Amino acid sequence: MTAAAGSQAGIGLRAQHHREIIERRPAVGWLEAHSENYFAQGGPQREALERIRAHYALSLHGVGLSIGSTDPLDRVHLRELSRLIRDFEPMLVSEHLSWSSAGGRFLNDLLPLPYTEEALKHMVERVREVQETLGRQILIENVSSYLQLSPATLTEGEFIAALTRESGCGVLLDVNNIYVSAMNQGFDPLTFLNGIPRESVQEIHLAGHTVNRVGAREIRIDTHGSQVCEPVWALYGYALRRFGHVPTLIEWDTDIPTLDVLVAEAAKADRIVEATRAVAA
Amino acid sequence: MPSLRELQLAFTTALLDGACEALAPWIMDDGLDAIARINIYRNNLQEVFLKALSLGFPVIQRLVGEDYFRQMGRLFLSRCPSRAGNLHHIGAPFPGFLRDQYDASPYAYLPDIAQLEWACQECLIAPDVAPLDPTPLQTMAAGKLAGLRFDLHPACRLVSSEFPIVRIWRANQDDRDGTEVIDLRQGGADFVVVRRSDAGIELHRLPPADFALLRCLSHGGTLGDALQVALTVAADFELAQALRAFVGRGVLARVHTN
Repeated sequence: MTAAAGSQAGIGLRAQHHREIIERRPAVGWLEAHSENYFAQGGPQREALERIRAHYALSLHGVGLSIGSTDPLDRVHLRELSRLIRDFEPMLVSEHLSWSSAGGRFLNDLLPLPYTEEALKHMVERVREVQETLGRQILIENVSSYLQLSPATLTEGEFIAALTRESGCGVLLDVNNIYVSAMNQGFDPLTFLNGIPRESVQEIHLAGHTVNRVGAREIRIDTHGSQVCEPVWALYGYALRRFGHVPTLIEWDTDIPTLDVLVAEAAKADRIVEATRAVAA
Repeated sequence: MPSLRELQLAFTTALLDGACEALAPWIMDDGLDAIARINIYRNNLQEVFLKALSLGFPVIQRLVGEDYFRQMGRLFLSRCPSRAGNLHHIGAPFPGFLRDQYDASPYAYLPDIAQLEWACQECLIAPDVAPLDPTPLQTMAAGKLAGLRFDLHPACRLVSSEFPIVRIWRANQDDRDGTEVIDLRQGGADFVVVRRSDAGIELHRLPPADFALLRCLSHGGTLGDALQVALTVAADFELAQALRAFVGRGVLARVHTN
């Protein structure tokens, strides 16, 4: 089932497109579901996923585990994720380099960690715990951020490199998030990419963002609600040359467009892969 | 320098309570100050939360309008912050919140509508379970029937209201233009069973005695107990007819004989 993945870009699976995907079976490499959207024990969402899974490879992407939190890991959430993995046999399972709860209150957002030795040690322990519970490797994705917690002793890239080395997790590289954070915080996205171990990257995400003005500053907000912008496509080309042709996914989570728009974005990613291959040959 | 724990608690306080003093000193300021950066997250948090709430309670949003719904949602968020990583859970306390706000007001029907919408959400994600097979009941000795206990089907919920909530709900679905006038002074209490079918969510209005029977069964009462309750609501209650209707609609799941 996983043979198709990697040869063609995939798209994020949204409930609005369930029926059309089942009926039309668009030519995309695979589909990625937000894990929490399918925690249902039955009903139409889960049934749609079963029908879709019969024809596509699937990856599961978690947005609610709060893996980087200092609160205890939510065992109920992990149990639901385990059940979903058992039932749908995804090729990849990913979570975020972030936290979203403290003191039992949830912020339901992907909040940045401070890039310190203490936070690294904590993340390594948590990733190990999750991997042990799920009985498999997970990928950890870099998030967009609008601030940096200080004093950081590591860069985000160094933090991720150490995390993958020490916990054995893979990396889900979100090229859009790198670009958004780089612009918001003023670091060089190429330096970031060069710091990530080549063999650790197992999936790439591409998405759109918006540019807002806050006072005199331009701030990029990771909305996942538009097409991938040109600088991000260029960065994607660079990432392909560095990390090889890892499975690539088009994410689009707000103002969700027609399925055709997503399929066209995925096809654009495929063309960039082809162009990179041609240069390499 | 604060520990990771302290930093996360300070971040949470800044985002949910608006008190930024503990967090701000630990945010790097390069051309945009800490408060402006925190506000980006506060704004995101609010939008994500309001979006999730509006997806779960579209009828409430349509009844009160988008602006007022957002106002309501912000107050709800401050009173009942999310307690789970899965955003689908955030709506659970919303009916109770609305009850505190609007009980004994001209909008006292809002909490009941919210209860109905939450019931719909719960039904949509409930397990797939085979409905009750009535065959064993048909051959059972009459003396044994009174001691039976039934499970309500997991994809069913019971909601009652002194207002005509089903009419209000139907009049505010996407395919309706919202011009229907419903006069609450004309009364019209509703006893509703919400169920998920293959076609989607169905709402069935029940006679009060049928509803009383189901409610008693759903609380673990025996069929005998439930019949007594139903008969006090309507002296001419017909048990066999009501049970046939429940079985036909798949409202019951399992029967326990002891």
